[in-house]
Amino acid sequence: MKMRSSWSYSISRRLTLMNMLVSGVALLLACVTFFAYDRVSLKETMVNNLSIEAQIIASNSISALVFNDAEAAESTLAALKASSNITAAAIYTAKGSEFAKYSGQDPRAAASIDASPYRACASRPAIPEGKARAYSFAGDQLTLARRVIFEGKPVGIVCIQSDLKALDARVKRFVSMGAVILAVSLLAALLISGRLKRSVSEPIIQLASVALAVSREKNYAVRAAPAGKSGELATLIGAFNEMLEQIQERDVALQTARDQLELRVQERTAQLAAANKELEAFSYSVSHDLRAPLRHIDGFSMILMQKYGPTLDATAQQYLKRVRDGAKHMGHLVDDLLNMARIGRQELVVRPSSLNQMVQGTIADLKSECEGRQIDWQIANLPDMKCDPGLMKVVFTNLLSNAVKYTRRTEHAVIEVGRLSENGSTIIFIRDNGAGFEQEYAHKLFGVFQRLHRAEEFEGTGVGLATVQRIIQKHGGRIWAEGKVNQGATFLFTVVPLEVKA
Amino acid sequence: MPSPPFCTRYERCMKKFRVFPWMIAGIIAVSLVSRLDGRQQPKASGPQVEAAYLYNFGRFVTWPATLSAGQFGICILGEDPFGAVLDSTVSGETIDGKQIVTVRISNVQGAQNCRILFISPSEDKRLKQILAALDKSSILTVSDMPEFVQRGGMIQFVLAANKVRFEVNLATAEEARLQLSSELLKVAAAVKRVPSGT
Repeated sequence: MKMRSSWSYSISRRLTLMNMLVSGVALLLACVTFFAYDRVSLKETMVNNLSIEAQIIASNSISALVFNDAEAAESTLAALKASSNITAAAIYTAKGSEFAKYSGQDPRAAASIDASPYRACASRPAIPEGKARAYSFAGDQLTLARRVIFEGKPVGIVCIQSDLKALDARVKRFVSMGAVILAVSLLAALLISGRLKRSVSEPIIQLASVALAVSREKNYAVRAAPAGKSGELATLIGAFNEMLEQIQERDVALQTARDQLELRVQERTAQLAAANKELEAFSYSVSHDLRAPLRHIDGFSMILMQKYGPTLDATAQQYLKRVRDGAKHMGHLVDDLLNMARIGRQELVVRPSSLNQMVQGTIADLKSECEGRQIDWQIANLPDMKCDPGLMKVVFTNLLSNAVKYTRRTEHAVIEVGRLSENGSTIIFIRDNGAGFEQEYAHKLFGVFQRLHRAEEFEGTGVGLATVQRIIQKHGGRIWAEGKVNQGATFLFTVVPLEVKA
Repeated sequence: MPSPPFCTRYERCMKKFRVFPWMIAGIIAVSLVSRLDGRQQPKASGPQVEAAYLYNFGRFVTWPATLSAGQFGICILGEDPFGAVLDSTVSGETIDGKQIVTVRISNVQGAQNCRILFISPSEDKRLKQILAALDKSSILTVSDMPEFVQRGGMIQFVLAANKVRFEVNLATAEEARLQLSSELLKVAAAVKRVPSGT
């Protein structure tokens, strides 16, 4: 409410100010123009009046001039007493010497021949050749000189001087009138703007308060009251209301879309979860159910080998060995698949664990595979981290046994386990100088059953790295690989290390 | 530029030295003005002024319309006091569109075509006969002989305060059906009514 009152104050005040300014300036301009025009025309009128008086004096002093009668001329001039504005007058002969004079009603001037008004008439404006009169406004005096023409010949000059009291009085009257008119019209403007306020600023103030309410309370259900039937204000308010309506509609649509999306996401999630479960269950049951026939194949082929092996020829024994190898390989596959399925289903059991210990334990486990090999192990100091130690162990086991396996043909095998920091995240890497791989197939490494090497070269199921990726992702990390053919491979994954307490 | 009369210092000065400096200033000014006047305008001699007046009377007097001579005659009866001055004054001038001519006549019979007749003081003795001869002839009679107006003349030059003035006899002018303009009467030293035959 306080906001609203200040608003109304400012806008109505602005409107009022604008009205008053406009009308004031217009009036002032009109007044000034009119005043200037009036001044000019008043001066002209004064000049004309003085000219007429000079003409009268001139025509009445012809005989006085012709017959050199200064007294008659002075008595003619004395008639000027009737005009209070005339301060001095004089008649000169055609040759320019003074003939008669009149020194107004100013007793001071009358007292002295040399009083200033009279002297001023002595410095009368020169009449240009071929002109009957000349005048000049100098100081506070208008001086007009006029030739006395008799029978087409100049016989003398009449000079009359008048004060500008009429002009001054006119100025005073004008200024006071202008002030009154200005005051009245400003008052009128004030009243009119009061009326205008109701029709212009009220709707705007209302609109502003509605806009404020909308932006504050995010309530798009309010509407501004319409102002009149036409005009920009009505358009504005109409447009504003329409906008609110559109926003409201959009809000509703948005809410509906959001609700539907939520519902859809829930559905999809449920579907996915179900599919996942199904898949897990399926793969588990498949691998589980595959074991029984596998055991039969394995068991009976072993019995066959033991009991009837000697009676079979070399080819049959070769076949039998193939069968047994196949069964064994399938057993590995099933085991790995089971592992993977288990990891997929398994909840993480997280606790602080030492990666150093884990690596050392894993190397110890790999002893049997390293029999008769020269492997240069370079193990850096690794951080502790919160993780599921059982699963992390699986990661290291897979990666390190891979390294051991793929360096089999390297003369000086070097396997490096290290850490580095990149963009504030800790990375563990395992590098070897073994067979390596084509970098462009790096993304395929982590797919299930995807292998970049033939089984004849390096045995394997193609499930290990897929399992490793699952475990790392479950821990919120990511894993990738870099390598070149015959120049070794590096596997890198991010970990979240525990805060090292000093 | 005159200083404005509402200057207070000016007024104070006026109060302090009311008379003395102003008197001196006035005397100086008057003497200056008079000297200047004297230098600008050599004092017009009596005949010169009178010649100019003669010619100017013609402009302030209206003759009856019946007169339709082609020229405007200014005649001098008797001894000529003007000489060449009058001729140079009126040469090339016209009155009512009529060329001015100067005629010197020795007797009043030669005045039929005259509008203005200057009667020289030399004719003093014959004045009565002359005026009688001119009766009803619409001729403006001018002279500088003494008592001219009392004796029935119309305009008489007189000297007043060393200035050439003139007196007018309105009665005889009206008898001769001449209209003297009020402007002329205004500047006359005296306007009298002395009917002829008195």
